[in-house]
Amino acid sequence: MVHFLGFIVVTCPIITLAILGLMGLFGKPLDEASVDRLTKINVLLGLSASLTILGVMLWTGSRFESIEFGNFVNLNQEHFHFNIKFVFDRLSIPMTVMSFVLVGVIGSFANVYLHRDAGYQRFFIFYSMFLVGLLFAFLAGTIETLFLGWELVGLSSALLIAYFHERPAPVQNGQRVWAIYRIADASFLMAAIVMHHLSYEGEFTKITGSAAWPDGASSLEGYSALLVGGLLLFAAAGKSGLIPFSGWLPRAMEGPTPSSAVFYGALSIHLGAYLLMRISPLMDASPLLRCMVITLGVSTAIFAAFTSRVQTDVKSSLAYASVCQVGIIVAEIGCGFLYVALIHMIGHACLRSLQLLRAPTLMRDYKTLENAIGGHLSHGSLRFFGWLPQRWESRIYRFALERGYMDSAINEYLVRPFRSLFLFLDRLEQRWLRFLSGEAPKENESNTNGAA
Amino acid sequence: MRGEASVRKFVLDFFGTILTNHSHTTDSQSSTSESGHSGASAVWANAIHHAIEHAIHFLPAQGPIAVFVHHNTLHAFEDDLFEDAVIKGLGIYHAQPYLPESQYRIEVERARITPEDLAAVIKEDLGDREHEFIFGESTRGQLRRVMLDHVIRAGDDKELQWFIAGTDALRKFRSDVPVTTERGMVDAVRHWTMRDFPAAAKNCPCPIEGFVDDLFVEFNRNQIESWTDSTWGSFTLGLLYRVCRHGAEVAGDSRASQIPSRRHRDIVFAATKYDCDQPVHELLIRFLGSFTDQGYAQWIMPHRDQGIYRCFLRMFMGKSQVTDSWMQGLIPLVREEWSHDDKPIDSIIRSLSALGIDHDSVDEYIQTALLALPGWTGMVWQLESNAAWTPQPLPKGSLLEFLAVRLLLDRSVLGYSLKMHLPEQTCKKLLNSKLSISSVSDAFGFHDRKPIYQSVQRRAMTLFQIAQLMNWSPIRLAGLQVSQWQSLMREVSAFRSLERRRIFHAAYERNYRVQALDAISQNPVPTELPSSTVPLFQLVTCIDDREESLRRHLEEVEPRVETFGAAGFFSVAMFFRAATDAHYIPLCPVVVKPQHFVDEIGQLSQQELQRRQAEARRVLGKASHQFHLSSRSMAAGTLTAIMGSIASLPMVARVLAPRLTSRAKHFASKLVRAPAATNLCIERLPQKEGSDAADAALKQGFTLDEMANIVERLLGDIGLNRFSRLVVILGHGSSSLNNPHESAYNCGACGGGRGGPNARAFALMANDLRVRQLLESRGLALPSTCFFVAGYHNTCDDGIEYLDIDRLPTSHQDDFLFAKAKLDTARALNAQERSRRFELAPLTISPEAALRHVEARSEDLAQARPEYNHATNAVCFVGRRLRTRGLFMDRRCFLTSYDPSQDDASSKVLNRILQAVIPVCSGISLEYYFSTVDNSIYGCGSKLPHNITSLLGVMEGAASDLKTGLSQQMVEIHEPLRILFVIESTKEALLSVMHRNPNIDKLIRNKWVQIAILSPESNNIQRFVDGQFVAYHPSPNVIPTVSRSYDWYRGWRNHLGFAKIINE
Repeated sequence: MVHFLGFIVVTCPIITLAILGLMGLFGKPLDEASVDRLTKINVLLGLSASLTILGVMLWTGSRFESIEFGNFVNLNQEHFHFNIKFVFDRLSIPMTVMSFVLVGVIGSFANVYLHRDAGYQRFFIFYSMFLVGLLFAFLAGTIETLFLGWELVGLSSALLIAYFHERPAPVQNGQRVWAIYRIADASFLMAAIVMHHLSYEGEFTKITGSAAWPDGASSLEGYSALLVGGLLLFAAAGKSGLIPFSGWLPRAMEGPTPSSAVFYGALSIHLGAYLLMRISPLMDASPLLRCMVITLGVSTAIFAAFTSRVQTDVKSSLAYASVCQVGIIVAEIGCGFLYVALIHMIGHACLRSLQLLRAPTLMRDYKTLENAIGGHLSHGSLRFFGWLPQRWESRIYRFALERGYMDSAINEYLVRPFRSLFLFLDRLEQRWLRFLSGEAPKENESNTNGAA
Repeated sequence: MRGEASVRKFVLDFFGTILTNHSHTTDSQSSTSESGHSGASAVWANAIHHAIEHAIHFLPAQGPIAVFVHHNTLHAFEDDLFEDAVIKGLGIYHAQPYLPESQYRIEVERARITPEDLAAVIKEDLGDREHEFIFGESTRGQLRRVMLDHVIRAGDDKELQWFIAGTDALRKFRSDVPVTTERGMVDAVRHWTMRDFPAAAKNCPCPIEGFVDDLFVEFNRNQIESWTDSTWGSFTLGLLYRVCRHGAEVAGDSRASQIPSRRHRDIVFAATKYDCDQPVHELLIRFLGSFTDQGYAQWIMPHRDQGIYRCFLRMFMGKSQVTDSWMQGLIPLVREEWSHDDKPIDSIIRSLSALGIDHDSVDEYIQTALLALPGWTGMVWQLESNAAWTPQPLPKGSLLEFLAVRLLLDRSVLGYSLKMHLPEQTCKKLLNSKLSISSVSDAFGFHDRKPIYQSVQRRAMTLFQIAQLMNWSPIRLAGLQVSQWQSLMREVSAFRSLERRRIFHAAYERNYRVQALDAISQNPVPTELPSSTVPLFQLVTCIDDREESLRRHLEEVEPRVETFGAAGFFSVAMFFRAATDAHYIPLCPVVVKPQHFVDEIGQLSQQELQRRQAEARRVLGKASHQFHLSSRSMAAGTLTAIMGSIASLPMVARVLAPRLTSRAKHFASKLVRAPAATNLCIERLPQKEGSDAADAALKQGFTLDEMANIVERLLGDIGLNRFSRLVVILGHGSSSLNNPHESAYNCGACGGGRGGPNARAFALMANDLRVRQLLESRGLALPSTCFFVAGYHNTCDDGIEYLDIDRLPTSHQDDFLFAKAKLDTARALNAQERSRRFELAPLTISPEAALRHVEARSEDLAQARPEYNHATNAVCFVGRRLRTRGLFMDRRCFLTSYDPSQDDASSKVLNRILQAVIPVCSGISLEYYFSTVDNSIYGCGSKLPHNITSLLGVMEGAASDLKTGLSQQMVEIHEPLRILFVIESTKEALLSVMHRNPNIDKLIRNKWVQIAILSPESNNIQRFVDGQFVAYHPSPNVIPTVSRSYDWYRGWRNHLGFAKIINE
């Protein structure tokens, strides 16, 4: 029963994505009404199936159900399995239900909002790709499955940010977000490999123990727990916009309002926190890891709270407000308040995505508030740091205005060395090639420069 | 009433500045340029002030988005002819002047532009020059016609090479060449080759002999007698192409284009693709957003009170550990400027000198520097000059300070980009001298850049195609001398794409003009009605094009009704504050300065209740503002977020079922709120003791005399002199969600406000017996049985709300209920007619369902097109309704009531009507025009990624320039046409109005609007063309007749033509 329902939850979005994608590929895109109907049926089926699973599991008292889709790669000699497996437990079911609700609401919103837009079909293809990725990530029972979902979410997010591809800014920002996702992915992949090396398989049970979430105990210990956990923490930081990657979130607001709302404001941004929640038993195994998680969470929250206060456009300020809450959620996870974090995460996702949906009504809302209060609205706190010496206030303000210099730091300390390394290698290779072909070495090579 | 005086003074100041600003000259900068400069720098300072003053004209004139007033996007160019102005716009803003040529060709295909239109327009454009011969028997008119009718393939060299190689363009005639032309040309060439060649080729100015020999090799001369027709065709085309190529070679190209490099950035960009503006703008957008913030951010920028320049210096003086590499040059520069400790103007002088700008190029340089980020720069100017009503206006001279900052940033990025892209030696040398534009372009090796000519191949290809279509045989072309080639090439290149688009556009406008004028001239000339047939009731609405359909439907539903159109502030110019509002808002056209304040207050019996409600609202408002703020903060945010899943329930409902949710909300609030019982304080109160002098200058309410003037004026304007028992005055506005541009949808005559209070005030005045006595003494007697009722029409959800109906005498209740019933039917039909434009509503929708549909639209958060606003507007009719009554005008016509027979000899009434109507309607029409032809530059692009910033305007996505103009969703169904005024009057009257109003004269003579006058006695129409009136001859086409509007508009989404509605 649960297996069948779980099967529906996973396959429905895949089938929808396949239909939308294939019809587009064969040059016969569906019309708006059919797309609308298809996505609605998809979400409704998925939602009712996952709710039923929840009901059944409550009824039977079961706390852990898994569905195997089999091993796809089996390298027996190296004891390597690559298997797709989905688990339903106290963590994944609430997240799945929330995803269906939010994605469903946004789908119905976007259907009207994007009506007549040239990219309507494209939007809904990415939208269903996102949903598939999200479900894979939330329901993943193995690190490989999680990685698959993680990648799909990243890809569809980047494409949605670059939705208005006729203008340069969305494409540039989409690319930037994609690059940061890739950095996170690299770390994730390393963690997966390390895990395979340590335990020959990617099952989360290795990390979490066989008990149902959140009562697991990790079978990894000491430094191996720290290594795997640290890599995964780095990956989570990239995906959730924690320090030092916070700069990507406001840049993600290039797409149409509904996609910004649900994807970056609410769902994508929590994926990192979700990952930490999944691997929380590792923190019991390594107190150092726990400290790192708490520190990262708290410092992100403080930083984002400052930054959010100086943002003057609705979407950026909501973006940093999201980062702030995610920071707190991460800190909660670090402290071991897993249920609090779960409730916090779900509540925050709902609230923030709907706040973003309403963002274009800001002028009207402010006017209503002004009329109710009977005067111009006061700023929240007029002089936030009025008590500090002016020089300091100005400094902190600039720090917040420049968004903690994080983008600059990434440009300077990550992009530049990376680029120069590769340009250097490129030059070496060319020299080597010329040497092989017997040409004279050329003087004064012109170095090409593009915008970083 | 605390603080009221200051509020009012504030409001008055605001209007003071609007008016002084209207002439667009300002002495704001003179305050900053004080004496004390030495001679040279004083000269510089003057030059800079002058340049800024000049550049201001080109900045977008849109203010903070809370008040959106439609205006001509190219207002600064009104002294030029429209055709010249749009080309200037192309040069300055790189914005399109007309629709793309391909779009016009689509319009030709669907007969929206007919061959007849094109012929007439070419004739009008060329005059006598049309029939001049340009080659052989071909006239200029024919050439232009051919170039309009056929797509002449052009492209860069590579594209053309591909075209020649990949298609048989050189072997087969174009498929649109008539067979007879083709045969004729081939035969002529064949004759010539077989009969006259080679003898005839000897004394030809062109080396045709060589061409023929080439072709003989290609086609095998030995078998010439067995050549097929198609071989001869290819032979002919081969010869033609070679001759054309020769012609293009010898003629040369007179028209050279050169890459303009007005700023250093252009050169660096052309050479390296590094855009210096990108980092500058990224920083400026953030900085300006915070500096100009009107109250969104919770943390106010420190040092804001010191002005942009000093605030910027203080902010960026401090060294930070991590910066983008380009900023490393900025901080020393900022510190240096700070150490000078002088005025921004001095900093500008230093920057200009460092950038090597000399006196001659100051104007142009400053203009381009300010226009690099036009939206934000324009907003700085608006906040400085025109926005005293905002919470955070900017002080005078802010634009100048902004320029100083901008130049500092430009300098530091320029230095960085040079260091990055130039070899060290060159860069050092350059940085040690002045960085003038020419030295930078030398350093990048641009000094020997030649002007770019069109390639020979391209010109040859164009001529080759035209020659086929025009039947110019190669033999005759070969006889041309060099000078003849040159003049022929000139003819062809003179009619380049921009010119073709101009002609296409004129034809596009002509087509609609002919339809409109034909339709109006076919409406019967009204004869005087017998005075006994007083209408059942009368309706006065705004002139708005959206009310055209409501009036038409009402007249169809009940033919015994009379309707009028007047500017929607109904002559009541006032500052108004509703009982629940915090601030006064001006309700009148922006060109009028209101002198009167009107408050809405609760009725005496309700005041205590309302006071308590207001208090509750205040508490709730504060709470929800706090929620709003704290959801973005850390600790409180955690609490709100944890509660988030519950808080979001209503929102989910709102998205999934907008209409039901809003009704439920409405119902719930009704339970706790007593019916709003309010009064309008329109009457002047005696001066209170102890009020200060400032207060005395302001007028609370109107005196009886002023009220009588207002009533007399409006009734005179619209020519209402036979009164029914009931006169309904309907103001209008619009409400929608998730729409930063909401104000643009409201009544233009109320300055972007909602016109309900004006209608209400007018009805109160007209019902006042004392006012009526005064009117009677002036000879305007209102029958005592006549009663005025005010209403408010929401053009988005098509609801009508009636105001003050409790004051209606019981004797008139039946009349009111009758009128209300008729208006209810009419508004449902109106909703149905509007719904045909909305793809989300089925075409077969019933009036009731349509009403529900538009109600849902106005409450739907996801709806990007709550209504189409003024889209499709095309005509403005000024005259008696009888002249247009019964015409289906597809909601495209502003209808202004004016009765020429009631006007005096000096056309006083016409003058004051046109004073308001022409600027307002032309502003709407032209803003729609420009936002449509170039939506990304003149308009604000798609609404979907809009991001409200600083409570001032919208950006696209995460960060961009402030976008001005109308969005793609607002204009997507608009046909960009200059508005056609049809005025029922005489030419003398119109000329005298033009004479009295230079602004109107300018708009008309420079062709920003089209003018036609309709004779009051007959159906004669005269158009105003090039300074004189020309009789218009209607075409013989009779417009279709239908029995009701529904029969005409049903089942059709696109624009509809005119139809005559005959009620039986």
